[in-house]
Amino acid sequence: MTLDLTAFENNPDLTLSPGDDRDTLILSMGPQHPSTHGVLRVMLKLDGETVISAEPEIGFLHTGIEKQAENLLWQQAVTVVDRADYLAPLSNSLCYVLAAERLLGIDEQIPQRARVLRVMFAELTRIASHLVWLGTHCLDLGAQSIFFYAFDMRERILSIMEFVTGARMHQSWFRIGGLAIDVPKGFLEKMDDFIDRFPERLRDMRAIVERNVIIVDRLVGIGKISQQEAVDWGLTGPPLRATGIAYDVRRAYPYSGYESYDFDVPTQTGGDCYARFVVRLDEMYQAWRIVKQARERFPGGPVVIDDRKIVPPPKTEIQHSMEALIHHFKLVSSGFNVPEGHIYQSVEGPRGEMGMYVTSAGGNKPWRVRWRPSSFYHTQALKRLAPGNLIADLVAIIGSMDPVFGDVDR
Amino acid sequence: MSETVAPHPERAALADLIVELTQAAGEDLLESSSCDDMDELALRPGGLFAVITRLREAGFNLLLDVGGTDHHPLSPRFEISYILTAIPLGDQRDPRRFAGVRRFRLRVFPDDRDPIVPTLSDLWPSANWAEREIFDLFGVRFEGHPEMRRLLNPDDWKGHPLRKDYPLRGLERRFVPGGHTGTVPPVRES
Repeated sequence: MTLDLTAFENNPDLTLSPGDDRDTLILSMGPQHPSTHGVLRVMLKLDGETVISAEPEIGFLHTGIEKQAENLLWQQAVTVVDRADYLAPLSNSLCYVLAAERLLGIDEQIPQRARVLRVMFAELTRIASHLVWLGTHCLDLGAQSIFFYAFDMRERILSIMEFVTGARMHQSWFRIGGLAIDVPKGFLEKMDDFIDRFPERLRDMRAIVERNVIIVDRLVGIGKISQQEAVDWGLTGPPLRATGIAYDVRRAYPYSGYESYDFDVPTQTGGDCYARFVVRLDEMYQAWRIVKQARERFPGGPVVIDDRKIVPPPKTEIQHSMEALIHHFKLVSSGFNVPEGHIYQSVEGPRGEMGMYVTSAGGNKPWRVRWRPSSFYHTQALKRLAPGNLIADLVAIIGSMDPVFGDVDR
Repeated sequence: MSETVAPHPERAALADLIVELTQAAGEDLLESSSCDDMDELALRPGGLFAVITRLREAGFNLLLDVGGTDHHPLSPRFEISYILTAIPLGDQRDPRRFAGVRRFRLRVFPDDRDPIVPTLSDLWPSANWAEREIFDLFGVRFEGHPEMRRLLNPDDWKGHPLRKDYPLRGLERRFVPGGHTGTVPPVRES
C-alpha cells in the first residue's frame, strides 16, 4: 500500500484550513500502532488532543481471500475462508459449509454428532476470541494482569483445539458434509476439565475488571451510539446489542440446532464502550452454557454424511473396494459439483453477523463467495464514533469495536 | 387434495409489499422471486432508488451488505446484491422478537460496458465503504458517491481483481529480484 497522502487533499475534514489555530494538527495513526489491533491507519485531524475528524484507512492486510476461494474446489475453499477472521476460524468455516450444504441440499442430513460438535466448537471459538479481546482491550487501557488470566484460559481452549484437530489456529475442521475427523479418545476428559474450570476463572476476571474504577472511568460514556445510528452504520453483534437490540442470528435464523439450546442474549442499553464491554463479558458466560449443554448431550454416531459423492470413504474401505477408490480419486482430483444457485447464509460470529453470499454456477468451484465482514462495518463506524473524543479514548473505542483486520481486509 | 391455507399475516404483508415494489420499479424490474433464504427482486439500476426507499419505509432499516458478483462471460455481467434486514427499534431486549426477522435481497444488474449504479451512501452511511470496495474490486461505479476511490487496493493499482478476466496471480509481477517489473503474461491457472 502506498502511503499517498494526496488522497486526502480533497477531503476538507482532513486538511488544514487558514482559519485553524496552532493546535490543529493532521496526524496519521498507524498502521503499526500497537493499539490498532493489527494494521489499521486512522487519519486524524486534531485540536490539541481532541479528535475533530477521523478517517480509517484499511487494506493493509488484503490477501484476496475471496478471489482465492473462487479458484479452489468447494471443499478446499474451507481452508482459505478459515484465514479471514483469524481469531474465529471455526465460525468462518461454519458459515461457509452451511451455505454450501444448503446449496447442495444436504443440510438436513448432517449427523447429530457433527451438529453438536460444530456448536460446541463455534462457542469455544467465541470464548477464545472474546478472551483475546478482553486481554488486549484492557492492555490498551493500561491494565496488565488481566491479560495473563485471559490468555491462560485461551491457551486451554487452543490446546483442546490442537488435541482434536491438530491445529491451534486454522483448524479447517468443519467440512462440507460434516467434520474432517471424529474427536480422539480423551477428548471428553479435557472438555470436562475446561467446563469445570472456566466459570470460576471468568468470575475472577470479572472481579478484576468489571467494577474497576479506572476501567469504568475510561469506558462509561465514551463512544456512545444511538440505536438508530447503530442500525444506519450497519453494526451487528455486541455493538448492536449494547444499544438494547437483542438481534442475534442464533435466535433469528437458527442453524446447526441452536434453537434447541437454552441461552440468553445479553443486552445493555448504554450504547457506549462500557456497554459493549459488559455484553462481551456476559456472552462468554452464555457461550460456556452452550458448551456445557453440548457436552451433556454429546450423541454417538458418525460425524459425516453417508454420501460418497461428497465425503470420501474411510481409508480402510479404500484398501478393499474398487468403487471406494474411484470415489476417493474423483473427490481428490476434481471434487464435486454444486447445483446452480445463490444463497445468503449467516452465523453469529464473535464480532457480529458473519454472512456469506455464495453463488454457484454449477461447477466444482464456488463462483463467488461474498463475505459480509462485520468488522468491516464496525471499523467504518469509527468515522462516526471518534470525533469529539480524546486520542486515548479513540484507543478505547477501537478496542471496544474489536475489529480483526483479517476480517476487514480479507 | 390441496387445501387452502390462510397465509401468515406477515407473509401476506410481505406479498403486498412486493406488489408495491414491483410497481415502484416499473420497467426496470427484471424478476421477482422467492428464494430458499429470502425474497428477492432483480432490477436494472434505474429502479434501485425507488425500490430501496420504499423498503426502508416498510421497516427494512439495516443494510446488512452490499456485494458484487461478476458473471462473465454471461450477460448481464455484473450483479450488485443488497441484503436488508428489518430491525425494530426501541426497547428490544427480548430476543424472541427477532425470531425469523425479515430479510430481503435486491439484485441489481448494471450495464456491461459502463457499469453505473446509484449510490446509497446518502441513505445508509454503511454503504459508503461497501460501494468503494465494489468499485475497487469490480470497477462498478456508484453515481453520486462522495469519495469514489479504491478501498482495499493501493490507489495506483491497475485492474479490478475480482473480475473473472483478471488472472489469479495478478496482471504484473511486482517484486522481482533484480528489479525487472515489466508486464509478464498472466500465469495460467488450471
